[in-house]
Amino acid sequence: MTSADTSPRLAGSAAAKTKPNLRLPAETGVVVALAVLVGLLGWLQRPFLEPANLFALLEQAALPGIVAVGMVFVLTIREIDLSVGAMFHLTAVVAAVLIAAGVDPWLSAFAGVALGMCLGLANGLLALALRVPVIAVTLGTWWMADGLSSVIGKGQAIAPSTGEGNFFPALSGKVFGLVPASVVIFILLAVTLQTVLHRTRFGYRVQATGSNPEAAAHAGIATATVRLMALALMGAVAGLAGVIHLGAQGTVAPADGNGLALFAITAALLGGTRLSGGHGSVIGAAIGALVIQVALSGMALLGVDGAWESFAIGALLVAALAADYLGRIWRSHRAERRLATRRG
Amino acid sequence: MSDSPLIVVRSLAKRLGGFVALEDMSLAAERGTIHAVVGESGAGKSVMARILAGIERPDGGAIEIDGHKVAIDSPNAARKHGLAVVLQQTALFPDLSVLANLFVNREPVQSGLIARREMQARSFALLRELGLVVDVGAPLGELSAAERQLVGIARALLDHPRLLALDEPCEALDRSQADRLFAVLRELKARGMIMLYLTNRLEEALALADQVTVMRNGRDVLSKPRSDLTPTEEAMIGQLGLTLFPLPLRSLSNVAGTLRPQLTVSGLSGGRLADVEFSARAGEITGLAGLPGSGVSDLLAMLFGQRRARRGKVRFPDGDGLPKSRTEAARRGICLTSGRAGNGLMADKSIAFNLSSVVVGARDWGRRWYSPKTATERAARQVEALRIRSGSDELAGSLSAGGRRKVAFGRWLEIGPQVVLLDEPARGIDIGSKQEIYALIRQMAACGCVVLLHSTQMSELAGLCDRVIAFREGRIAGDVAGAEMDAAALRRLITGDAAAAAQEPATTSQRDAA
Repeated sequence: MTSADTSPRLAGSAAAKTKPNLRLPAETGVVVALAVLVGLLGWLQRPFLEPANLFALLEQAALPGIVAVGMVFVLTIREIDLSVGAMFHLTAVVAAVLIAAGVDPWLSAFAGVALGMCLGLANGLLALALRVPVIAVTLGTWWMADGLSSVIGKGQAIAPSTGEGNFFPALSGKVFGLVPASVVIFILLAVTLQTVLHRTRFGYRVQATGSNPEAAAHAGIATATVRLMALALMGAVAGLAGVIHLGAQGTVAPADGNGLALFAITAALLGGTRLSGGHGSVIGAAIGALVIQVALSGMALLGVDGAWESFAIGALLVAALAADYLGRIWRSHRAERRLATRRG
Repeated sequence: MSDSPLIVVRSLAKRLGGFVALEDMSLAAERGTIHAVVGESGAGKSVMARILAGIERPDGGAIEIDGHKVAIDSPNAARKHGLAVVLQQTALFPDLSVLANLFVNREPVQSGLIARREMQARSFALLRELGLVVDVGAPLGELSAAERQLVGIARALLDHPRLLALDEPCEALDRSQADRLFAVLRELKARGMIMLYLTNRLEEALALADQVTVMRNGRDVLSKPRSDLTPTEEAMIGQLGLTLFPLPLRSLSNVAGTLRPQLTVSGLSGGRLADVEFSARAGEITGLAGLPGSGVSDLLAMLFGQRRARRGKVRFPDGDGLPKSRTEAARRGICLTSGRAGNGLMADKSIAFNLSSVVVGARDWGRRWYSPKTATERAARQVEALRIRSGSDELAGSLSAGGRRKVAFGRWLEIGPQVVLLDEPARGIDIGSKQEIYALIRQMAACGCVVLLHSTQMSELAGLCDRVIAFREGRIAGDVAGAEMDAAALRRLITGDAAAAAQEPATTSQRDAA
């Protein structure tokens, strides 16, 4: 409908052909960090690079990584879910209790994932109904889910008998005798969700809603539905992680899942996801989880006292934020200069 | 006139993103005068006001006060130099009381506590002078737009500034409030205060000012004492806006059919709107005139599914009633583009991403996948058609206000809308973009859309619309078309003031030119 045009063509109105300038993907920083860390540790400690060690490392990173991957969606809609650790634990406990009660393990696992999804949906519905940020609601549901797991699990570790069926062998086993099952799930999930976020209509809506909720609603995007779906996805992913944890370990201890939410947010931020919403990288979050795990295991390998672990994770994130800030300054500086030269 | 001017602005320049808002703006304001700066909205007046207020820093040029060059790099610096600026969208706090708003950041303190009594005493006389009769303890949000505007002016005057700059102060005021404000300004002038009066209405400027500077595209094009302005020059300034409006494309109106699709509204109430009844035909631009707060924005929000109607029936060209949500509206081809802040774009996303927001974001049919390649192709088409002066992979936030508005239009053009609702679509953008947006609106009407255009600028409505419905306090005050549709008549209808026309100069008869 815009082909017929009556208004006079203004001087200089033809769209100026701009040089396509090289834009680095958001994950560049975290990939570089991972490469540097692995290279440094491999150089200092030869055994670090052995496949067995690397796969063990991947396995450790898999569970928090899966949660981080889900967290990217929540951060991208400009929200924060604090309850993932408790959801993780509650689903694992419920699945364990079901298995112990004689329900088929696979069915119990499915029930765990479904429960996680319902919990996420409940978070979203509460946030919508009460008109408060998700972080406030999930602070409440975190305590509630935590309390429920204590009630159901009676504050003790639950270890259902692992004898029957192929559930436990499948999840604690290794594909090709080398790659742990949880790692395979982690990688598959990361690739799938990366595609979902950047190549589907749902992913588009998630990004649009997070970038400017009011503008998105104004363009006709059903932002409430998008929020609910993102939070339900987060819940399902947390439930999946809980069930995998149960399957791989064969037991759920009361402290499992503590600090998972903060770990996931940290990993996502390391990977280039922004707290201000609109921009998320699933692959970046997965690599971010790896970076944290490599740093931790490197410290152990170099003989640093384990008490320094938390400090190291925090320092890593602060350093990443500083590097990101410097990068932004440099980019805006370059853009100014480009603009100046274009003006002549 | 008098000896040395108090404030001199020399070749002020300011770039906002990739857009030049001020290029070479100069003016000199003499002591004890009212200096009007006249220009279309988008000419750069507001940017200059923000620079004087210390909110933005200029890229070039200088501001001199008493012959000394000063740097106004913060609102506090502006206050220190005796400059008080009342911005168009004044930063007030709706949740705080009127009194607290008047004394923000300079509350009188008595033994460590805020002295409410002293605040009341100091503001009492001033508020009465301004004709503002309100409960000063009430939250500001409960006041009308006009009262809030007066609170903003009162706050500036409490500083006892040497120079008071007012950016479009009368936009929200009715005639009697404006007259009272003018009287206050003349009184202040007699006491030796200098006023910069920024406006887009020539008649206001001529009625009030001692000196007139005309501003266009970020430059001063003419500056003269009011008494030296010849009638021809007055007419010339008045004509500046005329070339903006494209000739109507009468493609559909010539078709002698009575079965054109219509938008029919009957007995609609909700928000400030009470029992409104009208219909708008496809192929025409139907103007909706009304002051801020007259309920026209509420009407558009209801038609777009953003606001619930209390009562009443609406029949859209597709045969259905009011959409229940914005999503439903978008799916039915009903679109709203607003010039107000808050529903803009996703500034940290690319232009291509933004242009896909209705096609990919709102529709629930079509492909489930989002392909950046398709989005880029789609964007390339719109960037070309709308003459957006940036590549589609650049961030929407880097565009000028005009460019952003075009992107906001472009995302709807992709779905070929049936009903186009426009809420001050050309507010605050540069003249070039304005012209292009006006041409676009005409085209949409010519393509068979129902176009409803709300504007607070009567010249815009008179220049662009086929028919204008005037709203006053939530009710229809008149329905004019053809030759009787001129800016003065419309203003008379929306303010409900028969005397208004007499005080305004014979208005630039836009219809004759269009």
